[in-house]
Amino acid sequence: MATTTSLDLTRRPAGMSRAKRRQQIIGWIGILLAYVLIVAIFLTPLLWMIGSSLRPTREIFQFVFPLSWRTFIPVDWTLENFLDIFGLSETGRTLGFQFGRALFNTALVSTAVVTSSLVFNTMGAYFFARLDFPYKNVLLMFVLGTFFVPQQATIVPLYIVVRELNLANTYWALILPWYASPFVIFVLSQFFAEIPKELDEAAIIDGASLLQVLRHVIVPNGKVGLLTVSLLEFQFIWNLFYWPLIAVGQKELQVIQVAVATQITQREIAWGRIFAGSVVASMPVIILFLLLQRYFIQGVALSGLKG
Amino acid sequence: MSVVPKSSRGPSWWTYMRRSKTRTYIISALFILPALINFAIFRYVPILWAARASTWQYSLLGGYREWIGMEHYLRALQDPILHKSLRVTFTYVLVKMPLEMVLALALALFTNQVRKGMGTMRTIIFTPVVMSMVVVSVIWALIFNADSGLLNAFLRMIGLPKQIFLTNPKLALPSIITTAIWKDVGFSTILIVAGLKGIPGQFYEAAIVDGANRWQLFRHVTLPLLRRTLFFVVVTQTIFSFQVFIPVYSMTRGGPLDATKVIVYYIYQLGFLFQDMGYAAAVSMILLVIILIISLIQIRFLRSEVEY
Repeated sequence: MATTTSLDLTRRPAGMSRAKRRQQIIGWIGILLAYVLIVAIFLTPLLWMIGSSLRPTREIFQFVFPLSWRTFIPVDWTLENFLDIFGLSETGRTLGFQFGRALFNTALVSTAVVTSSLVFNTMGAYFFARLDFPYKNVLLMFVLGTFFVPQQATIVPLYIVVRELNLANTYWALILPWYASPFVIFVLSQFFAEIPKELDEAAIIDGASLLQVLRHVIVPNGKVGLLTVSLLEFQFIWNLFYWPLIAVGQKELQVIQVAVATQITQREIAWGRIFAGSVVASMPVIILFLLLQRYFIQGVALSGLKG
Repeated sequence: MSVVPKSSRGPSWWTYMRRSKTRTYIISALFILPALINFAIFRYVPILWAARASTWQYSLLGGYREWIGMEHYLRALQDPILHKSLRVTFTYVLVKMPLEMVLALALALFTNQVRKGMGTMRTIIFTPVVMSMVVVSVIWALIFNADSGLLNAFLRMIGLPKQIFLTNPKLALPSIITTAIWKDVGFSTILIVAGLKGIPGQFYEAAIVDGANRWQLFRHVTLPLLRRTLFFVVVTQTIFSFQVFIPVYSMTRGGPLDATKVIVYYIYQLGFLFQDMGYAAAVSMILLVIILIISLIQIRFLRSEVEY
């Protein structure tokens, strides 16, 4: 970042007065400072997490004071923390860490939810964007009304329902409540509404059924929207904590976020393992975000603009 | 919905020609039915169930024992822990929201400039948003750690005395608010940036021609045109903030001295630690009503402000 701003310094418009030039330099310094501040505030915790996950715990404590680059960059690099939490080392097995299992559960549940969400939300969005139905507005109110149901506040009641359905302590408890999402239906139908209606009409004149229109016209033309909502949904499910915490009790079904919060932090003094667990629980989504950030940000922005 | 298809209605007229109306409706209904069933069972029924459970002596182990009518609600009126918990929750929201909005607005205005590196800055600010609240809380709990935390290392570097953050009743809630703002501010920033991009350039040009300075541009062009976006962000973020749970669960467990016992954490304690599901359901209902009232007020405010 520093280099790009200093590049700007070389582009001096001819005939600029000295005072104006000085003002401009002060402006650049201000912007540079703001860059440094943003990077320091938002990236330091991440760098600390990643760096510390790769060093022995005693080294973390050793280099906190005084604050220097040593606080962040390991001297004695090691993967020991990761081996521990995956139960691949002696210590890890003794302490009963099962992060591999938790990671598998999270991946399974996230994939299942994204897949089912792609099916049911796409159908729902197509319904609201295109199909004729009596009292469709009432149905829309029914869907959008759920926005006003605060999720964390209804977790306990949701648990009561899931328990009565005999779903508690199963994978189904982690998947079924989320197989359709009002938010996704809403955002997707905005994307679908922008697809030209002439395409549907042409397909229907060619004798296509509604399902065929959806499959061969809407889905191929709505790929960007589908990718966007899939990413948001994946991130949402991957990061879910409160619901999995109470919906499943046994360790075999525990998801990664619950593993981080309960397997480690409650009794752990070995910070290396805490950091390693945090890295495992957050890096998959962060990497996905860095690779496909355009879609993430577009999805968030859309929900606000059209809301 | 009209029964007779209008010619401008796209594909429908042809569908009607080929099939009976009823059959089309039945097929159409199948598209939305799975989603509606989900919302009914997993989003609306829980509220009804909570309403029912809140009038019973009910626990997960003992089941429904005795119908007690409004007793849980009367108990709520006199429950000092609940009152403290409501105070903590409102403090959290009323401190967090203004700070977050001012920061988000500043960051959005800053990173919306056309300059090298601004895209990278937006990415950096947004990264905590995609992280899980669990990981963010765990990392920040270590940053706030009294003996080996990063923040105390920083305080020592600039010559300030060591602080005990999470076990000090005065500093625990501010620490949690800091953590939550760090995670959430990027979300608001991105929404505001999207709003800024939606303001047509002519408005600025016209104002500049009229001789407006930067503050006047912000005050009389940006802010009024950004109103809708800002209100949307405030409403949604307020609803979320009232439901804060994870940082409290993983950083302080509601302590010290209940200084961070927000209402969702109290509900969790009641239902799952104290085995008092009936009362937990009653408190859930109270929170539900509070959030509903506040969002309705905000929406009304939003409407009246926007349609001038």
